[in-house]
Amino acid sequence: MSAKIQRLGEIDRVIHEPARLMVVALLAAVAEADFQYLRQATGLTQGNLSAHLSKLEEAGYVAIEKTFRGKYPLTICRLTERGTEVLNNYRKVIKAAF
Amino acid sequence: MNNISHNIANQNPDVIASRLLQTAHNRDGLPEIIIGLTFLILAAILWAQLVFRRGSLPYAAAILAASLGVPALIFSSQWIIKKLRRNFLIERVGFVEMKPVHRKRSFVVAAVALVIAVAALIAAWMGNGSPPPTSWILAGTGIGGGALLILAGRQPRSVVSGVLMAATGIVLAFSGISLQPGFAILYGVIGLLLFVSGTVAFLTLITKPAEPGE
Repeated sequence: MSAKIQRLGEIDRVIHEPARLMVVALLAAVAEADFQYLRQATGLTQGNLSAHLSKLEEAGYVAIEKTFRGKYPLTICRLTERGTEVLNNYRKVIKAAF
Repeated sequence: MNNISHNIANQNPDVIASRLLQTAHNRDGLPEIIIGLTFLILAAILWAQLVFRRGSLPYAAAILAASLGVPALIFSSQWIIKKLRRNFLIERVGFVEMKPVHRKRSFVVAAVALVIAVAALIAAWMGNGSPPPTSWILAGTGIGGGALLILAGRQPRSVVSGVLMAATGIVLAFSGISLQPGFAILYGVIGLLLFVSGTVAFLTLITKPAEPGE
């Protein structure tokens, strides 16, 4: 087995899950986004997205802030520095392997 | 979950993000409405230049609108869309703050595109000894614009608009129409198509009950 393929073992399992990868990839491309936007963009259900965001927050990859815009409640999500680092590493491993 | 999530693992995260962002950006139809309006104004200006006498007041107004109004609309379109979404559609489309645009990179991309366009024109001119025939320009604009619509739209309705734009360009090319009325018709047709499809998408979105946020 080549060293490049062996590096696949280093992949972070938290962001390798398809739905979480979608969320992390999206958050990496924007400055910040709210729950509703993420749900619309990913097509995930409310419960599913909520569960994935909790896992990403637990891992320290995503920061979540509850706020308001007028009367509308916003759950703002952003990628943390740790999250960016893990995603960059994921990019490198995938790029090298495929 | 939407179809992008199939086989998503092992894909480049940047590709995934750009697909998702583009689809989300075009979902409410606002970009299509603004682009459609721009094309309709362009068509009206071209038509006015054909109908009114050179040097008359309506002719001068059309030139002024073409040189000031259209660029202003193009440059302010993203700001208009952002304001409309934040003030009236936040419950339906959510909130997103994009990363600041990398000005240097945008400038380089624009400069490269300009150089390529000028080089292509010069090459065509020198190769044939004359500018490309009208039919080529109309067909090329229709096909190129249609392809761009399909690639950038990422919605089924963009494929319909793109195919119709290409077909209009080809039909106009074979009709033997001269350049300016040809462009007026091409821009008018695509403007109307985009405006109608964007409006239908927008009305569909706002008439559906908003889903509760978290």
